[in-house]
Amino acid sequence: MDLTTVLTKSPDAAHRTYDGQATIVLPSRAQVSVLNEIGSAIWERIDGRRTLAEILDGILAEYDITREKALGDLQAFVTDLKTQGMVS
Amino acid sequence: MLTHVSQGAVADRMSGQDRPPGTDFNPDAAWFAENRPAFGQGTLALRVGPLRFALEGLSSRQRDRLLSQYRPFLEEKATGPADLSVRLTRAGRESFLQLQDAGTEVYRMPTRRDADARRWWSYEFAGSFATDRRTAELALVEEEGPRFERGSENFLRAMTAGFIQARGGMLLHGAAVVRGGRAYVFFGPSGSGKTTVTRFSQRDLVLSDDLTLLVPAPRGFQAAGIPFGMAHHHVPDSNEAFPIAGLHRLVQSSDVRRERVAGAAALAEVVASLPFVLDGDVDPRPAVENAARLVATTPLWRLHFRKDDAFWDVIEER
Repeated sequence: MDLTTVLTKSPDAAHRTYDGQATIVLPSRAQVSVLNEIGSAIWERIDGRRTLAEILDGILAEYDITREKALGDLQAFVTDLKTQGMVS
Repeated sequence: MLTHVSQGAVADRMSGQDRPPGTDFNPDAAWFAENRPAFGQGTLALRVGPLRFALEGLSSRQRDRLLSQYRPFLEEKATGPADLSVRLTRAGRESFLQLQDAGTEVYRMPTRRDADARRWWSYEFAGSFATDRRTAELALVEEEGPRFERGSENFLRAMTAGFIQARGGMLLHGAAVVRGGRAYVFFGPSGSGKTTVTRFSQRDLVLSDDLTLLVPAPRGFQAAGIPFGMAHHHVPDSNEAFPIAGLHRLVQSSDVRRERVAGAAALAEVVASLPFVLDGDVDPRPAVENAARLVATTPLWRLHFRKDDAFWDVIEER
């Protein structure tokens, strides 16, 4: 996925974050999901303005993780979110 | 990074019995706008937790049956205006939805918002709730019997879920047992063991083995039963509400233990067990906010249990 991509959360998704972990509810798919800490950090940064490159930089600044590993995880995670209809 | 907590269906499975598969009739706004005759002129008033329902248009046979069935929830004299008045009418049809195969299928109950009302319909009923007037029409294909009970009570369950959500509470897909003046709530999808838990609690007050009303109170939440048990679920002997000792997500297991669940995972478990209010085009945000207040004030555990009463030793910490 192109790192200049800007994603937006689905307007149908209700979400709430507790202690760094997000719960996402998507009624159209009758689905409730929980994100882990890094997934939640990415989710919080998806705001319709930041590019994936900017989100990646934010994750690298916050977590002790290599760029290669973070990029792979970010792309896989964002693809999953798109497949689930949580972002567009 | 992402874990799905599947949403459990609260509906029963429908048996095909000897009926051939057929074509659904999905009533449109024009159908709902038609005038239909009531079954009769009988009325009764119900108090379900903090909610007041008035049922109107009942035939004498319907009224006699419901007076017996809903006894602990009846208000002989209404103590205030009803939150919702439901008029029961004759649908003038044999069915709405049809079973899609000859075997069984999970009970379907579509919902749609039209300009002036929210609609629900299923195999044996079509209901319409006028959002501005607090009135509803419930058109039923039969006057009495299992199809009457299933249709009327599924509609009233959906109404209960919507109205209690507006009061900050929720209708949880869970059983509730009162012991020592406090309610222990056991929840999870169909087949998780809710009815089993109540069978091992025969000396206690069972509020429900299927759907429990959770009502906000000055100190946390309280649990109460609902009368709409569709014949095969337990109808409570009391309409009192009780403070909640704890919420237990049921997990069938060979051992008996419990583990505390908090935060996002606890919220997900509760939201995944809320029927009716997360269907299709319904805004999920109020349900999520109410569930967030519940898990912030009420402890939640994942209870691993087997089919005996040993789980009580664990949850009472004996």
